[in-house]
Amino acid sequence: MSETYDFLFKFLVIGNAGTGKSCLLHQFIEKRFKDDSNHTIGVEFGSKIISVVNKSVKLQIWDTAGQERFRSVTRSYYRGAAGALLVYDITSRETYNALTNWLTDARMLASQNIVIILCGNKKDLDADREVTFLEASRFAQENELMFLETSALTGENVEEAFVQCARKILNKIESGELDPERMGSGIQYGDAALRQLRSPRRAQAESVQECGC
Amino acid sequence: MMAQLENGRLSSDDTMSVMTLNSQFDEESSFGSDSEINGFTSSRLTDKYGFIGGAQQYSSDMAQEVSLAVLRQREAKWLDMLNHWDKWISKRFKKVRLRCQKGIPPSLRGRAWLYLSGGKVKREQNIGIFGELDCQDGDPKWVDIIERDLHRQFPFHEMFVSRGGHGQQDLFRVLKAYTLYRPEEGYCQAQAPIAAVLLMHMPAEDAFWGLVQICEKYLPGYYSAGLEAVQLDGEILNGLLKRICPPAYHHLDKHKIEPILYMTEWFMCAFSRTLPWSSVLRVWDMFLCDGVKIIFRVGLVLLKCMLGSREKLKACPGQYETMELLRALEPRYMQEAFLVHQVLELPVSARDVEREHRIQLKRWKKTHGELTYKSPPRLHGAQAIMSAEPHSRLDLRQKPTIIVQYPSDFDSASDFIRLKKRSTIRRAPTKQDIPNPYPLPTDTKPAEEPPHLILATVKPERSHDPQIPNNFFPNPADIKKPNNFFPNPADIFKIANNFFPNPADILKNPVSIFMNPANFFLNPANFFLNPANIFKIPADIFKNQNNFFPNPANIFKNP
Repeated sequence: MSETYDFLFKFLVIGNAGTGKSCLLHQFIEKRFKDDSNHTIGVEFGSKIISVVNKSVKLQIWDTAGQERFRSVTRSYYRGAAGALLVYDITSRETYNALTNWLTDARMLASQNIVIILCGNKKDLDADREVTFLEASRFAQENELMFLETSALTGENVEEAFVQCARKILNKIESGELDPERMGSGIQYGDAALRQLRSPRRAQAESVQECGC
Repeated sequence: MMAQLENGRLSSDDTMSVMTLNSQFDEESSFGSDSEINGFTSSRLTDKYGFIGGAQQYSSDMAQEVSLAVLRQREAKWLDMLNHWDKWISKRFKKVRLRCQKGIPPSLRGRAWLYLSGGKVKREQNIGIFGELDCQDGDPKWVDIIERDLHRQFPFHEMFVSRGGHGQQDLFRVLKAYTLYRPEEGYCQAQAPIAAVLLMHMPAEDAFWGLVQICEKYLPGYYSAGLEAVQLDGEILNGLLKRICPPAYHHLDKHKIEPILYMTEWFMCAFSRTLPWSSVLRVWDMFLCDGVKIIFRVGLVLLKCMLGSREKLKACPGQYETMELLRALEPRYMQEAFLVHQVLELPVSARDVEREHRIQLKRWKKTHGELTYKSPPRLHGAQAIMSAEPHSRLDLRQKPTIIVQYPSDFDSASDFIRLKKRSTIRRAPTKQDIPNPYPLPTDTKPAEEPPHLILATVKPERSHDPQIPNNFFPNPADIKKPNNFFPNPADIFKIANNFFPNPADILKNPVSIFMNPANFFLNPANFFLNPANIFKIPADIFKNQNNFFPNPANIFKNP
């Protein structure tokens, strides 16, 4: 309980069933691939402190069930999320086609300002690819999403996905676009940040904890 | 060293390491069976439930030990109940319930579950249906998602550990058959663990009918689109919690933790992914007997234990912390004896559940409007199901594949064991009643009388009966303990029900099923060669020194 951080963000991992959401989360937190995981029913959690642009940020990640049938249930997890990983499987067009629905849900139920990064997972299975990088990046641009292709198996771009999303949120906070004080922003100040706020002399070095990740 | 557990499962680093577990664990574990045959070679042990390396939180202090003598007594009682099932359910249901609460003997669990759930009657009244569904192709939209889930059900259970192994094949068959049986329902991911638990105890056809009963009688609407029934039950749970444990209720309310956030997996999987395995089995014994109130009670006990005191609530000041706490339940609250005791003590009846149901349904209609999916009424347990679904005596008749009998002609018996061929076990055996091999104290039958063993096997290609030497049985003078003398018929039925291939398959394709290396040990001839099966038959027949029955493996090896 003695962990210190400047900010706490609530993150979601959403996308169709079997796209590797839980594996991405596991790779991010444990730094290894989990090939024997159960499918998620309801919700799983993970949290990790990362450092982004001289701030330490605690990510509180809610990993959701992907099957369409669970959508009415998973919606209740969306509330107050600051960021989201929207995951599809590059070897399955069906999972890509479902993205629009997921996007609508996230913007409607979490918040209009939610920062979303699109993740084309299973990058390691390039031979079975059904969705090209170009196509997906165009979709991302049109919908104002960040975009990366990831591999939960090899770990490629997994950390980057979470970090980029967090960085964008931080930028938005600094530019005033996002107000952490607003209810349901999905952002909280850590103790260290509160101290900084009260004495804005930017004695940053001592407050930023290296989290060793 | 105990297995490192992570969320109740082994972390993947441990997968290949050698585990040394305590000796009692050692005794009851096995090598072999599907996992090995299919190429999964691991130096780790399988626990007595079939989980490799103590996955699903196995440890001896989580489970309640039952002595062998008690187990034998219970088996005899259960055999008697199964023989007169309709009478027991209609006239002595309280006794049945009591016996379910004490725990169904493992060797008879699969059969008892099928009878309790009404799956047995359903199967008899729909003969051939499963076979038909099994032959059809499934809707690709369901097949695709089922296939994605096959390797994700109890991946540390020896039955499901290997990709494409017979456990995963059966799981596919059962789930696909359900989507064809109820095309308007299709497949819900939470059905997979339910089907997998059933498959650990019974062949695919039985598991299918068990699944049908759970989805339609015990938890109707749970797996339907929209999951309204689960959400409604979440509200019911919350309503009951308000009465049972106000501090926990207020804490959850304060932090806006809707029931759906923590109870979805608990209820939809009937706790099979939450509790240690010994507790899962006991909960299911009670659940299939008494219905959904057991699931509510388990949920309430866990909430009460985890959030029941002020100190505990102080430790989880926010929504996320509380959710994390409820995802990491303390093992001591899930320990078999503790949990079962708490569940039985909790004053929540089926009527309470129904009352709360009416209240919450009214509220639901106000906030959400009418339910979009009208599910059939929920039936609270075995008795309600039996009275709702008319059956005939014939439907309840047991159809064992191996029958153990005392001989009528002791002296004339030159060969004590006769293997009786039967082309199919679908045809009812001529003998209806299975004599109790455990003579009661009042029984006049002399214990020394050597029994006949009639093995009605399903093996189609056996060309001759093995000759059994005359010294096969021990000297009658040695026989002092009649109770140990005979292999437990319960165990034999377990073999019959669980390990033989589905007779329907044999009929379809009598040769190829045994050609498949995966099915090698399923072949009755090889059955006893499989060390895993020897471990399973027995609740310890072969270990017990008082046991005079020769190891069947030897019979086959050296006729």
